[in-house]
Amino acid sequence: MTASYLQRATLLLLVAIVLLIYVFPYAFLVSTSLKPPQDALEIPPTLLPQTISIENYTNIGQFPAVQRSFGNSIIIALLSMAISIILAVPAAYGIARYSTWLGKAFLMLALVTRLIPTVSIGIPLFAIMRSLGLIDTHFGVALAHSTISVPLAIWLLASFMESIPRELDEAARVDGCSRFGALFRVIIPVAAGGISVTAIFVFLASWNEFLFSLLLSSVGVKTAPIAIAEFKSQYGIQWGTMTSLAVLYSLPVIAFSLLMQKRIVAGMTMGAVKG
Amino acid sequence: MRMSDRAFVLVLMLPAGVFLSFFVAYPLFMLLRDSFYEVSLFASEERVFVGLDNFIYALTSSRVMGAAGRTLNYTLMALSAEFVLGFGVALLFNAMGRRSEILRTIFMFPLMIPPIVAGLLWRFMLIDNIGIVNHILEHLGIIANSSDISWLGDRDIVLFSVALPNIWLTTSFVALVLYTGLQNIPAELIEAAKIDGASALQRFRNVTVPMLRPVIAVVLIIRGIDAARAFDMIWIQTEGGPRFASEILSIHIYRSMIRYGNVGEASAIATLFMIAMVVISSIAFFTIWGRGTSKT
Repeated sequence: MTASYLQRATLLLLVAIVLLIYVFPYAFLVSTSLKPPQDALEIPPTLLPQTISIENYTNIGQFPAVQRSFGNSIIIALLSMAISIILAVPAAYGIARYSTWLGKAFLMLALVTRLIPTVSIGIPLFAIMRSLGLIDTHFGVALAHSTISVPLAIWLLASFMESIPRELDEAARVDGCSRFGALFRVIIPVAAGGISVTAIFVFLASWNEFLFSLLLSSVGVKTAPIAIAEFKSQYGIQWGTMTSLAVLYSLPVIAFSLLMQKRIVAGMTMGAVKG
Repeated sequence: MRMSDRAFVLVLMLPAGVFLSFFVAYPLFMLLRDSFYEVSLFASEERVFVGLDNFIYALTSSRVMGAAGRTLNYTLMALSAEFVLGFGVALLFNAMGRRSEILRTIFMFPLMIPPIVAGLLWRFMLIDNIGIVNHILEHLGIIANSSDISWLGDRDIVLFSVALPNIWLTTSFVALVLYTGLQNIPAELIEAAKIDGASALQRFRNVTVPMLRPVIAVVLIIRGIDAARAFDMIWIQTEGGPRFASEILSIHIYRSMIRYGNVGEASAIATLFMIAMVVISSIAFFTIWGRGTSKT
């Protein structure tokens, strides 16, 4: 009796510690962003704002370049999402429906790209983009991000399409659909859920990407993470504004992730571990 | 119009295939080719063939080798901390059974935070003197003065400090994947071991770990690759400083390319880096996973 009581208490204590370590850092970030700017680095630091202020957020208005960077990030993420979905949907369908050596080779290659250090692709991509005249353009950065997201999307979509019963395309063919008709009229509508989950993943991959953006953008299409990282050097460290930017930048990621909690882990392993 | 299966599959895969050949395979070919040349970033038309010089430089330069050592160090540090903590938490969830559901949802939270925000956040918490971490340590009586530990300024500990956000951010990933693996172990197996009189520790060593081996392999490899490739989290905290003390390979390669414009050298190091990654992860894959599956 006492032993199990003690066990439960230890368990509870462990849980509390784990939670504290996990939630505290981000909560502290949000709390700091809501303090008046001069309180960001007060000594000693306080956990909660003494007075709540949104000045750190309104201050962002003074930095039009930083605001533009959020717009750039959205445009680039949407472009890369479009590229990846358009390329990956047919490829994944081919892999899932017709088991050819080509399909298997494709899946293997998609997995191998995960081993390649970003910087190893980034260096030659810089020269390629320069000769294509795509340095510092939305499209150029989006193409670079797609080198990560096309394999990711193929991998995720292939496993979604595996789960669609083959009878569906067969029925469509019997009813007189062409092969492409079966894909566009039957499979894509049925797989819409899986496609949108994949689209969100691909969007987030681009939104979070740092190194390609750093290499391939200069003034024109600087993305939000780069602008946030460089914020310090240009204006001196203004931790107050920095925390509010970090909160704003992480909001879409948190919002999307809440939408599809269950899929996150699967996406991060590229479906290598089936839950 | 009739079309054979083969032709149809080809048409489906062609667009993605063309894209990946042009933007992944071709760049890798260029990387390999440039490794043998002296190329400047600023005048890429002038290239001089230098044979193996860039590779010899990469393998003999103390700065490159230092960065390689730090990459290994950083990866091992982050990976072992994540694995031990993550496994502990996974076992905790498993022991709690269904009551862990809310906790698991909260635990997913770090997965949703962009890496640079994690880096920035920890940098903020670790600032000397005024950072909250030192402040808390001072309060707990662990350090005498809040300026005693210079997390990001001390060359001896900075590599550990820049691993902190990585550990914080991805322990939950490790925990959740291992938890799923634990859930998939048939309960009868554990029961049978219990009846045979195996202690908790024996059950763990002889039933849980072997059953979990494939999952452990996947987690270690994925996390190992990601830690070794890390760039953004370290860049935002220290940019590789102070005096290269947290400069791991991807930062070094970026520097030699952008700051020094030395494309040939950067390419050679990046090529070696990539080969090392493929070799090490293949070895890891076959030893951890391969051994487990061949036995059963």
